[in-house]
This record gives sequence, structure tokens and C-alpha cells, in this order.
Amino acid sequence: MKETRQRGRVLGLRVSGIMIMVAGLVASAMATDHSGYKELQQPFKSGPEVTRACLVCHKDAAKQVMKTKHWTWQSLNPQTGQMLGKKTLVNNFCIGVASNYPYCTSCHVGYGWKDKNFDFSKAENVDCLACHDTTGTYRKPSGLAGHPVYVEMEFPPGSGEIMHPVDLRKVAQRVGFPSRYNCGACHFYGGRGDGVKHGDLDTSLEAPDFELDVHMDAIGLDFSCTKCHAGTGHQVHGSRYSPVTKRGEGSVTRERTDRQSPATCDTCHGIYPHSAKTMTNTKPLPGFTQQGMAAMLNRHGEKIACQTCHIPAMARGGVATKMMWDWSAAGKMGPDGKPMVKKDDKGHTIYDSNKGAFELGENVVPEYRWFNGEVRYTLLGDRIEKRAGHVAINHFGGGQKDGRSRIWPVKVFRGVQPYDPVNKTLVIPHTYGEDAESYAVSFNWERAVAAGMADVGAPFSGKVEFIKTEMIWPLNHMVAPKARALQCQDCHDRNGSLAQGRLKNVEGLKKGPLFRLGK
Amino acid sequence: MKWKRIAGACMAGCVLGMPLVADAYEGDWKRGHVYYRMVCTSCHVVKAGGSIGPNARTQAEWAAYMQANKHAKGKDSVSYYVSKPYRESIASTNKAAAKFADVPEQELFEDLKAFVSRSAKDGDAPTGCR
Repeated sequence: MKETRQRGRVLGLRVSGIMIMVAGLVASAMATDHSGYKELQQPFKSGPEVTRACLVCHKDAAKQVMKTKHWTWQSLNPQTGQMLGKKTLVNNFCIGVASNYPYCTSCHVGYGWKDKNFDFSKAENVDCLACHDTTGTYRKPSGLAGHPVYVEMEFPPGSGEIMHPVDLRKVAQRVGFPSRYNCGACHFYGGRGDGVKHGDLDTSLEAPDFELDVHMDAIGLDFSCTKCHAGTGHQVHGSRYSPVTKRGEGSVTRERTDRQSPATCDTCHGIYPHSAKTMTNTKPLPGFTQQGMAAMLNRHGEKIACQTCHIPAMARGGVATKMMWDWSAAGKMGPDGKPMVKKDDKGHTIYDSNKGAFELGENVVPEYRWFNGEVRYTLLGDRIEKRAGHVAINHFGGGQKDGRSRIWPVKVFRGVQPYDPVNKTLVIPHTYGEDAESYAVSFNWERAVAAGMADVGAPFSGKVEFIKTEMIWPLNHMVAPKARALQCQDCHDRNGSLAQGRLKNVEGLKKGPLFRLGK
Repeated sequence: MKWKRIAGACMAGCVLGMPLVADAYEGDWKRGHVYYRMVCTSCHVVKAGGSIGPNARTQAEWAAYMQANKHAKGKDSVSYYVSKPYRESIASTNKAAAKFADVPEQELFEDLKAFVSRSAKDGDAPTGCR
């Protein structure tokens, strides 16, 4: 009897232990479950109400967010002293934020930035849900100044399509760590459309396969954006305004919490990533061993960014990226005298009366530039000269002999945009909105630019002409499997010459024969 | 005897609780997205002449389609294509099917339902076949 009782006790302990372990695991998995918190049981009527509830526990969160670029939309480049960020910059996509706030600020981590008087000091204006929603139901439509939909509404107005209010309580109770969907809600849609701006960021990265991106592969490593763009205190590192470009420079150990840089390739792969082991499935060139091939590729890494070989093309996921935007073509009306939209046979918009003409591309081969991490922008007050070529909206520093530069793949976005021919400056036009000064209503550039420049307090002569511009975007995502990486012959001919390959337009490279690539 | 009762109670609670957990399962739309893209779409592209974006239908149309559970105009069922036998049959060539080999069929079905509802033409985030 005693033995039976003892066995029962042991069995009970074991089962209880297992149950406790299961409970522990469940508790661990549910550690961020917010559904039971009393602060989140109320029927929230607005985003700021949710934020106030969040701040009851996360007392420092709003203060932290307010120090970030995601909030200020400003960033001082320490190398150049230029004040950058969306609030300040002029680009050649939608051109500028000023006077167009309610449309642009749907991607602000805040609520209510509808004009230049937005209160950046008000904690409840911080939007927690944009980054922490896990339901996939939280959206901030363009035109609502960063608010989601609170009451049923037709959107866009006149479209006949109804948007339903977001269930804020449900979203608030299911917050979690940011996923690719959260970051992508804005970063995939830069330039007002899926894949428009970057070339290496679009919705195909929400659930990508290994072929599209070896790191984000949804059934493989499944990296979220924050795996590399990690930080503390809501700071998200990794900015195109002052990126890390030199091998080993600023490279930090993954998961370190005090770092000030994002993970670069060498953070995980080291600065000599190729070895005989990694070259196992690669056929070596005649006269080379696999070890020798690995050493040669590692030497390439001194002057060639990893991205150059491992991102062979952009827009590889089935989403086209915009390559050209001609604002000067805007204003043509359809046969009925009303604004029109034209699409190509793939359904891409190639003309819009409100915006002008576009060119798009998929699987686009990048251009290549020396880059040392220094980026200088043409700012609103900077004088520019109209000339045969394109005016650079931004300029990448670097060259072959500065010891810091490597050759990077870039998307070069070319545009034709309004400028002031008297003051010789770029301008910000008021392009969106239902008011009389908006270009979308008046189709009058002088009025639109006058409104935009008045909003930002910049001088405007009253005259508008158009100027060709180009803007450079470094490529970092859509890293292909190594079998799809560039091969020797993509850049070199049989004599080693770079004259006809992908790097043929890179300044300073010796283009003549270097060696013989075997038979 | 007391320990037996405790153990028995724990096990009974565990077993009795299972249907409740199953009943409470709410579809994981993110996993549904991965399955839709990597299993449904990849097969449709190869064998059915093209993909069908979730945004090609409304939420009501998707709900009716999933409820009817008829695939290829009734030639077979939708649920067959999330079943374990189907996943096993393609696991050697489809990494997503292999990865989700052990996911209960009903859960995967709910995942798909959650994804197509969210991504429908009138859903919270209309999505193409990406």
C-alpha cells in the first residue's frame, strides 16, 4: 500500500511538474498578452485615448518615441551638419511634406499632424499601435493626419468604397513586437504606393520566400526588420541619411543593447565571409582552388559592398518600383475634360492628371556608385543651376582612393519637378487636398508652389519651371541566395576588363584587361 | 491516493481543456499568408494557369467559398489542400508544406480564413497574390 502510495506520489509529482512546465511555457508565450489589463477594457474612441492607456504602464515610452526620427521627422547628419528628415527634405517623388501634411503624416508615428502647428510635445499624440499592432487591422489612410478610421466613411471620398472603423480595443489588447507588416505599412509604401520609392522594399517582403530574401524568408530565418534595425528605448538604428558603409566600421555584435548602429552584413558574417566551406557548391575558376576563390572574393570585399554581388536586381518580388516621375506632364485631362488615370498592360499607373507621368520596372539591374557613407542633400534654400544633366537631390560621397569607400548598388530615381528659375531653388508645391490652392484642384503650378512655399516660410519668385533631378537610394534588402549572386562574368570579360560589365560606369576603375578568365 | 487524485485532476483538466482551446482558436493570418503564398499560389501558378489574389474577392465571397469547402468548382475540397496527407504529399518539393507538416488541419484552415478575410477586396488590408 505504502509502495503504491509512493508510486502515485512520484507519478503525481511528474505530472504536476509537466503541467507546471506547460503552464510556464504558456505563460512565457503569453508574456506580452495585454488582453486582461483593465486599462485596455474600455471602448476607445480615438488613438490618443489608447495612448493614454498605454502610458499608464509604459510611462517612459512616449518620451522615448519623441526623441526618434520616427517622431520628429528630422535628423542632424553629424558628418555634414545638414538637418535632414522628411520634415525638411525635398525629394523627387511627392516632393515635400509642407502644406501636404494630412496626406504624408498617415505614416507619422503620431496622431493629428494636419498642419505646421502640430504639437510635438503632447504625449497622447504618440501612436503606439502603428508599430505594435499584431491584428493586421490597424490602418491609417492617407488624408487623415495620422488617425485611423473611427467612424464608417467612404474612402477615398467619391470612390463608393466604405472603410470600417478599426476596433481599437481589440488592437490595444493584442499589441506585440513590430513585425515586417508594421514597418512595411509605411516603408513598403514610400512615395505613395507599394514598392514605389526604395526598389528593395515592398509588400512582397511581408511573406517572402528564400529566393527573394534569404534573411526574411518566412519559412526559414524569418527575420523581422528589427532583427537588424534593433535598438533600445524605441530608437531604431539604420538610416540612409548616414549609413555604415565601410567593412568593419561601426560593425557591432548582434543583440548588444548599447549599440548605436544597425546590424551590417559583417555583424553576423564577419569581414571575411567567404571560405572554402561556403564555396563548396561553387565551381572554382581554372587555376583556383575553392580556398583561393574564397580569398579572392574576400579581397573583393575591401572595395565591393556585399550588397553589390548579393542583390543582383531590385524589385524582384513581383512588385514594380517607380523609376521615373515627370511632374511636368501633369494637368492633361481625359476626353471628358476631367482628370484621368492611365495604366499599362500590367495595371501599373503610368499617368495621373494630378501627378504626371511615370515609368516603373521589375527586376531592375541597379546602378553602382562609390560610397563612403557620407550623404549630402540639396536642401530647399540651396541654389541649383539648370543644365543638360540631372540635378542631384542627394550626393553620395566617396571615391576609389579615399580608403573608406566601397562600390554599392543603388537605385537612381530620376524625375522632372517644379523649381523656381529666378531664385534658382527647388520648391515644395501644395499638391494634395481639396482646397483651391491645391494642384489637384487648381492645376495651376504657380498657385500650388506659392501655397507650399508660404507654408514652409521660404521665398518664391512667383515663376515656375521644371528641372530634371535624380535621387540615389542604396540597396540593402532582397538579398538573393548565393547561387543567384553575381558571377565574375557579370562584371569582367575574359580578360578581366570591366569596360562592358555592370561596373562599366563606375568612376575611377581601370577598365582595361586585368587578367585572363580561363577557357 | 491523494497524489493520484491530483495527477488525475491535472490530466483531466488538460484533456477537458483541449476542446476549449481548439474552440477558442483564432486564425493566425500571418501563417495563413505564408501558406497561401507558398502552397496555394505556387501550385496555382504551375497547375492552374495563374494565381488568385485574396483581393479578387470580397470578404463575403471568401466566407461563402470557405464555408462551401469546394475547390476547383467542386471537384475536390478546400480542406483537402490544408490536410496533413496533402502536405505530406508535397513536402519534398514544398518547404512551406514541410514546415507546417504538424500543424492541425483545422488550425491551418482557420489561418487561411483569417488571411483571406483580412486581405479581401473589402478587407482591412487588401492584398494581391504576393
